[in-house]
Amino acid sequence: MAPLEHYLILSAALFTLGVVGVVVRRNAIVVFLCIELMLNGANLAFVAYGSFLDSLDGQLIVFFVMAVAAAEAAIGLAIVVLIYRNRESTDVDDVNLLKL
Amino acid sequence: MAGQALFYFLALLTVAGSVAVVALPNPLYSVLSLVAAFLGLAGLYLSLNAQFVAVVQVIVYAGAIMMLFLFVVMLINLGREERLPLRLPIQKLAGTIIGLGIFAGLVNLYVSAPLLTGAKGLFPAARLAEVGSVQAVGKVLVTQYVLPFQAMGVLLFVGIVGAVVLARRRTR
Repeated sequence: MAPLEHYLILSAALFTLGVVGVVVRRNAIVVFLCIELMLNGANLAFVAYGSFLDSLDGQLIVFFVMAVAAAEAAIGLAIVVLIYRNRESTDVDDVNLLKL
Repeated sequence: MAGQALFYFLALLTVAGSVAVVALPNPLYSVLSLVAAFLGLAGLYLSLNAQFVAVVQVIVYAGAIMMLFLFVVMLINLGREERLPLRLPIQKLAGTIIGLGIFAGLVNLYVSAPLLTGAKGLFPAARLAEVGSVQAVGKVLVTQYVLPFQAMGVLLFVGIVGAVVLARRRTR
């Protein structure tokens, strides 16, 4: 098994790629994917710490994160579909007004 | 060191998939490369002795959530991201610099301080192999974590109702 530092650095890399994607990409769906990437970076850190500390709490927290991610994906994608219906676009730069 | 080699292979798969998510212009390819990254992550969870999480990662994350994304991408028929001029021209450069800063900060945190200072838990790998990872996780889930577990059910229910209410076609 690789040392804990390697798992943590990998999780930091995943989180960072998610942050860069959210800032750089303009398609709302890809922004959502990058949020999932950040959540998974956090999940990997939880599981790695739990495994190295002989505890199951890390794995349990990962379940709750996954449930939140599932709910967030369902609601978020519904919102993306709505925005697409109104604006014929999913570009986040096009959604710059509070009213439609 | 087969375990080490496996770790680096899976880490490479995961990072390559994640880079492809951010870099590929077509959202469809982004979703598929995220599935590849999630499969790599599932392998990493297996190497960490978290079999249940690995299976859930494949079935729920790569299977259900990513297919939801795929359906939406195909439903609204997205093409490549158009090459319009960015509203903020330095956005890409600034984003990359911010990302590198965050990464450097996190890595610095990990290499500078001692990592494993907490008390050891009740489930070393030998005990997990004895009782079974799924059984142990399930037992903790419905005893110690039963309240968050119930709240998770309420959250998912509200999520489903909200998605249906939002996406339903209004007939007037």
